[in-house]
Amino acid sequence: MSGRPRAPDWVTSQGHYAGSVSRFLAFIIDAAVSAGLFSLGLAAANLVMQVVTGHSVHWTRANIAVAIIFVLWEFFYFGYSWAASGRTFGMAVLGVRVVRADGAALDPWRGVVRALVFPLSFLFLGLGFLGILVQREHRALHDLIAGSCVTYAWDARAARLRFLARDAEVSMNGSAPSPAGAARPGQAGGSV
Amino acid sequence: MTRAPGRLSLPRDHPPGMILAMLAWPILGVVDPRDRIRSAGKRLTDPAEALAQRVAERVVDLVVEVLDVNALVLRLDLNAVLRRVDVKALLDQVDVNDLISRVDLDALLARVDVNDLVQRLDIDGLVEQTDLGAVIARSSGGVATEALDSARSQAVGMDQFIDRWVQRALRRNRPGPVAPGGPDGREPSFSPDGHAPSLPQPGQDQ
Repeated sequence: MSGRPRAPDWVTSQGHYAGSVSRFLAFIIDAAVSAGLFSLGLAAANLVMQVVTGHSVHWTRANIAVAIIFVLWEFFYFGYSWAASGRTFGMAVLGVRVVRADGAALDPWRGVVRALVFPLSFLFLGLGFLGILVQREHRALHDLIAGSCVTYAWDARAARLRFLARDAEVSMNGSAPSPAGAARPGQAGGSV
Repeated sequence: MTRAPGRLSLPRDHPPGMILAMLAWPILGVVDPRDRIRSAGKRLTDPAEALAQRVAERVVDLVVEVLDVNALVLRLDLNAVLRRVDVKALLDQVDVNDLISRVDLDALLARVDVNDLVQRLDIDGLVEQTDLGAVIARSSGGVATEALDSARSQAVGMDQFIDRWVQRALRRNRPGPVAPGGPDGREPSFSPDGHAPSLPQPGQDQ
């Protein structure tokens, strides 16, 4: 009980600056989720208009009004998520979180500012995102402007315990470890 | 047959004495002439007894002061003493429940550094070697959780991999800050285990 085996690197990374892959994957999920929700809303609006007016209405994103609503929706999706909890759905899935540059919880107004300046990072072929790779604190352009940064917030230690528990249960049952072992949390950090 | 103490008997074989005794009998039946002797003796013996007690106490004090108890204990064969002690009988006499009820557990626990105790625990080993693992697996296990854990850990691993290569490509000798918080960005608010008191705590993001 006294010797403590060394845990993988990722177990101790809670609160550290999040890297590019986690953030990119989180953004992909958010983009898909927000676009999916918007499409659902659009379909619902089409249906309602068809019922109310009696004839078929097709709003697509090519429509300028719909495009403006889509942009506003994206602002709302990201801005509200960051202001309310410091994380979007995709960030929650990947276990990252937006915090203030000093590590404290993000102020709501900073979340809104971050959402407003977020498009700036897409300018010049996404040059603003380069900061995530090369900046020492992995802060993109919108992070620098809003005074924020992104950190790992998932409970990696609990994840490791869950992994060990599953492994122990499999061993006790006498069956071979699951194929998920190839991607199991107990080895990921150490293997890269 | 014994004579009652303090009572006088008549001298039947001596007539004059018998007469005197008969005259004195009513008085002697009430007053015991030896009471005075006893009273006088008591006046003498009580102070003497108190004096003797004081002297004895003083002597004991002096002896104890002079005595080197440690040396005395060292000379004792405690094993031999303990061999003669019937521990079972001793324990039978102890009311453990009463003893426990007298213990102030709160005060006792207040003196225990639980954090230090927990730090010494090998939780991983505990989970692996006991049924605790099965309990955790059953209570928190699930395909979604497993997939999420796996995806997150893989993503962190790739983050670290890319970061190492970028640092190498940029020829940075000094590593940057790993976490926000301090004036120089060096994770002052984090324990070696990576827990951040000022940051989201475990279990908040799921």
